[in-house]
Amino acid sequence: MPKRKLDPLPSAAFQILLSLVDGDLHGYAIMRQVEEQTNGRMRLGPGTLYSSIQALLDEGLIEEIGPGSRSQGAAERRRLYRLTSSGRKLARSEAERLADLLRVARTKNILRGEHV
Amino acid sequence: MSEGLYSLMLRLYPAQFRVRYADAAMELFRDRSRDEVGFIARLRLWLDITRDLAISLPKAYWQAQPALAAQATEMPLPTPGFQVLPSTGLRRLAFFYAVTASLLMFGSLFLWVGYGRNQLMTMASAYRAEPKMHAHASAPAPTAEWTTIESRESSERASLAIAATQAAAGSRPGEAKVMNATEAMVEAIGAHQIVMFGEAHANKQEYEWLCELVKTPAFAERVDDIVVEFGNSLYQKTVDRYIAGEDVPVEQVQKAWRNMIGAVGPVSPVYGWFYKAVRESNLERHGGHKIRLLLGDPYGDWEKINNAEGLGPYVAHRDQWYAQVVKDEVLAQHHRALLIMGAGHFLRRGGPGAVEQVIRAGGVQPYLVVLGTNVVGGYDDLDRRFDSWPLPAIAALSGNWVGDLPAMPVVSGGLAAPNSLKMADAADAMLYLGPRDALMAVNVPRIELVDTAYGKEIARRLMIQTGREMLFTQEPETPQFQKPAQQTIGQGVGARHAPPNPPKSINDPLPPRPPSQ
Repeated sequence: MPKRKLDPLPSAAFQILLSLVDGDLHGYAIMRQVEEQTNGRMRLGPGTLYSSIQALLDEGLIEEIGPGSRSQGAAERRRLYRLTSSGRKLARSEAERLADLLRVARTKNILRGEHV
Repeated sequence: MSEGLYSLMLRLYPAQFRVRYADAAMELFRDRSRDEVGFIARLRLWLDITRDLAISLPKAYWQAQPALAAQATEMPLPTPGFQVLPSTGLRRLAFFYAVTASLLMFGSLFLWVGYGRNQLMTMASAYRAEPKMHAHASAPAPTAEWTTIESRESSERASLAIAATQAAAGSRPGEAKVMNATEAMVEAIGAHQIVMFGEAHANKQEYEWLCELVKTPAFAERVDDIVVEFGNSLYQKTVDRYIAGEDVPVEQVQKAWRNMIGAVGPVSPVYGWFYKAVRESNLERHGGHKIRLLLGDPYGDWEKINNAEGLGPYVAHRDQWYAQVVKDEVLAQHHRALLIMGAGHFLRRGGPGAVEQVIRAGGVQPYLVVLGTNVVGGYDDLDRRFDSWPLPAIAALSGNWVGDLPAMPVVSGGLAAPNSLKMADAADAMLYLGPRDALMAVNVPRIELVDTAYGKEIARRLMIQTGREMLFTQEPETPQFQKPAQQTIGQGVGARHAPPNPPKSINDPLPPRPPSQ
């Protein structure tokens, strides 16, 4: 069985999936959403963003919604991306995996302060 | 400056990535540049971009591998050396080393080609601009033929997406790697803001392919404008309505190509095919990106032109007006465009032509494709190496045997004698649509010319342009490049003869542009 491109799920791809949970976004909006949800720790550059988007599209985890017409503004002409049901499922599963890790970390008392 | 630099960095990505995401990546870069102002923010932006390049480049090439392999198996290339990528893929470490080495090498090359060279060209163009205009004004009048070939200056070469793709596909030195023509044009328009196509007028195979090209979604979604020689600018408004899908009577629309200033004799129906194809492409992609057809022929009104003096200023400024349309409607709008004009206007004869000079002065390096044939010397000197090419095909010309061929016989079907100009010096890539003798010109049906208002009007124009009467001798289709002994000018116009003396008005500037009809 061929190895999937997103196994394990890279951090950038996971963040993109999370960014799309609340609605469809275009590339720049995804970048800003990821920056916000990671408190500025992750700013996706165009190359990383669109490589990740391509991988997610290939795996059917997100889908592209065609650009609008030229009569619309530039923002409306951009490609929008939408989370698919597979993408939502994978995001949930990855979140649960990380939650498990967090539980283990807690039991080992390696977390401090507000993160505990 | 920043956008130009980032545009160069984008060229480092594989063609597949660029075709699909170059515009979006550039848009994202613009958004960040707009939102992140100030020294610190800008510094952070460039650090992000540099880091992003280092991280994402290997990933982009890694993702491109399966598609390249798939493409390789689909392309029936004739050369045995074509390399199909192994199914197991490359070791990551080897891939990393290869990408790092390529980054260093191509980064330096692109910076040199795209920046240093471009700056020099821009300065050279600015230096030459005034003498060029003066020289043009005082030069002997161009003939009224729209295949008029003008003098060119200085030489240069562009590095191309197609060449890069072909190199990636594993070509050996000297070998020509041919691509499916439509796929090659999709690649080219993705990688270059402006793609120029030097056509052979009235050619059937060429326009069948162009009509297919504009209906190809991957192409249609990327190109904003198509600038054509075969359209009188006077009728831009009518054509805009027609191309947008409005109900416009054909009698009104066809004025755009039938009333061309540059045409001698009846105008081939292939141009009507093309207008219709662009309209249909827009309609088929309802609600999607719309292509605009821009008319690049001067706005002379044949209804008001009664003699050679009235025609002179328009004929003399055909390249200049076409370039002005490109400058105002394409470059100033930051649009992506396909430019179509007779190959004689676009060929680099010792340097870029008048239109290309304007484009380069605007900071854009266009990609030039010309229609070529299998004639490499005298009229009957055919090169059998073309026989195995898949049709239609495009091959980049740098560093291979096609680029070494003498340009004049190749592009003229053997009607022009070889000189020192090589194909690789004259253009970036060559479109091949079949052996010279298979190429056909499409003519206006005789029934539309004999004792018709259009036929009488064409006869009147011919008298103004050439001082000769029109001969209704043409068949619906005739060989594109007939043997010199059988050669006629235009479509059934009569035997080739010396052009009449130029009118004095040939030195006059273009009259003011009237409102578009």
